Amino acid sequence: MRRIVSYMMFVCLLASMIGSSTLTFAASDIKVGIIDTYSGPPSSYGLDVLDGFKLALNKINANGGVLGKKITFVTRDDKFKVDLGLTEAKELIMRENVNLLLGTINSAVSLAVSDLAKKEKIPFIVTYGKSSNITGSKGHKFVFSMNENTEMIGKAAAIGLAKRPFVKYWIAGDDYEYGHAIADAVWNHLKKIKPDVKLVGQSWWKVGEPDFTPYITSILSAKPDAVIVATGGAGCIPFLKAAKNTGFNRKVAIYMHTATELSTLRPLGLDAPQGVIGTANYYFYYPETPENKVFVEEFKKAYSRYPSFGSLIGWYTANFIAKAYEKAGKVDPEKFADALSGMTIDSPIGKLTVRQFDNQLMLPMFMGVTKKVPGYDFLIATDIVTIPAEEIMPSIEDIKKARSQD
Amino acid sequence: MDFSTTITFNGLIQQFIVGLSRTTILFIVSSGLSLVLGVLRIPNVAHGSLYMLGAFLCYSVATLFGNSPIGFWFAILLAPIGVAIISLATERGLFCHLYDREHLMLLLFTFALMLIFHDAVKLIWGSEYRSLTPPVIFQGSLPILGMPFPKYNLFLLSIGPIVAVGLWFLTQRTKIGKIARAAAVDRDMVGAVGINVSWVFASVFVIGCFLAGLGGALVAPTQNITQGMDHTIIMEAFLIVIIGGLGNVWGALLGALIFGLTDSMGIMILPQFSIVFPYAAVVIVLIFRPKGLLRATW
Repeated sequence: MRRIVSYMMFVCLLASMIGSSTLTFAASDIKVGIIDTYSGPPSSYGLDVLDGFKLALNKINANGGVLGKKITFVTRDDKFKVDLGLTEAKELIMRENVNLLLGTINSAVSLAVSDLAKKEKIPFIVTYGKSSNITGSKGHKFVFSMNENTEMIGKAAAIGLAKRPFVKYWIAGDDYEYGHAIADAVWNHLKKIKPDVKLVGQSWWKVGEPDFTPYITSILSAKPDAVIVATGGAGCIPFLKAAKNTGFNRKVAIYMHTATELSTLRPLGLDAPQGVIGTANYYFYYPETPENKVFVEEFKKAYSRYPSFGSLIGWYTANFIAKAYEKAGKVDPEKFADALSGMTIDSPIGKLTVRQFDNQLMLPMFMGVTKKVPGYDFLIATDIVTIPAEEIMPSIEDIKKARSQD
Repeated sequence: MDFSTTITFNGLIQQFIVGLSRTTILFIVSSGLSLVLGVLRIPNVAHGSLYMLGAFLCYSVATLFGNSPIGFWFAILLAPIGVAIISLATERGLFCHLYDREHLMLLLFTFALMLIFHDAVKLIWGSEYRSLTPPVIFQGSLPILGMPFPKYNLFLLSIGPIVAVGLWFLTQRTKIGKIARAAAVDRDMVGAVGINVSWVFASVFVIGCFLAGLGGALVAPTQNITQGMDHTIIMEAFLIVIIGGLGNVWGALLGALIFGLTDSMGIMILPQFSIVFPYAAVVIVLIFRPKGLLRATW
């Protein structure tokens, strides 16, 4: 008897857990299912996206929503795992009846969910995955990318680096897809623009490498002019730390894609090395437009911190969704996808357009150099050069070629 | 690409010293793991989580003192003590009731601890990346053989021998160390001569966890303090303990030296494939010495 009672209690407990994660919604709401990484090192990016998304959504809903409906959302933590993310996407479609899917920072999860979205004919908007395959070789009608991708980073970095006098390069990075994709993209484009560059060596470390000192000392003895560091996420911080402690930044020029982003520089405080070259899609202090100032103010008021690029992604993604439903006129996946493709909205960094051909958001890139500036308790980017989106978008011919090969 | 020209003698020496400073952390963490493994016969899967906890506590204490140099020293000292207190509470409250159970239960218990600590860290410190600045005297680098060498790594180098000597003294010269060594060989006999084995286990467990916390605190200024730092270290620590000989603290030292040095030398010699080196060393050791280099206490 006691056993049955305890079983019953266990079942009740389980049921209540499931029940609590499924908030009840009015039948007429537009429901967004968000899959992203909310635990482990990448979660700070996912939470930034979510906060920006919520900020914009609250405003949209306060103004009466879209088509007379409110936009609501449910979240799932994919723990940076492909199988889990895919299961959650299925669950969101089947059990939660979401109208569209959003996520994730993991490119592999993004590609897997994109494949599902194609079969289920449900729109999927990629927020932070950076693989160029998402809208490139694996692109389709229902998948959209709201982030820059490795091809765009590579082109932007090559354009910026080619203007500098470096000839001997060393490539170092995370030994996984993102690291290699970035490194290949930067190097191939750089070689095209400036054929006399030379690659003197490469180092590849495992993801989550805790101490970069041995890598740096070994690179130093090869004396390259510049190092292309292809590390992302949590790896940026210990790398820059080790760079400062070894004086690496004073001996060799360092380029790292996310080096100047707030997510990297804020945790380092004044401990970050100066003079590191980085590309980013957004700084809360640049461009100094009224729109950006308003966004920063609103974000700071709501969450008492500066918005990062992730926060901006969340913010404009929500606005894109609202505007696309308005244009579609009804809640229909096909009509929504048609409406969003080619759409332009205003944002803190100017007008943003989803390119009609591949559903890739056209984002400008900013190249800057880290510097200590009075008034901030962390380093910021200075000498910022804007590289317009048109110059860095992958060419349509290349995408056609990639898609026909697949 | 021609790599041969890039390797100089000075470079190799430098790389060797860098490897030694990395070995220090590996040794401190894995000696704690080995100690617990040898005496309590438990592979403490949560050891890495205590290391992570040490790093986070170090960060919090240092920030509490406004990142002053005194705060840093307090943090290095208090963080492992904090970890030791937490582990004492866990051991006395939960773990000590399980010693009679079979091995699998104990393993499951430490696994559960790992999950709990992981989520506790997430709840308390959140998911933002954190970074700790070492005091001014340890910032920057000193030239060694014409190459910049981080001062903090020199500090780490000096800690390693202190911990090693401390451990030697503890296990060879103190009463508790002698009892612990005896308990590792035959725990029933130790109990039969009237020694409270339960408290011996508790002390060894706490010392082991203290070492994990110390490793975490020492490493905090050199890296990103974040969730997930537990996973990397626990894998490496287990490998080191296995190649050194299960439960043998000196084996942990030897294992850490092999692991840390093959890692840093590999980075110098073949930077593209350096990931393979320490693991290849582990495989080679296990082919020739399947039970580890030194005598296992198991």
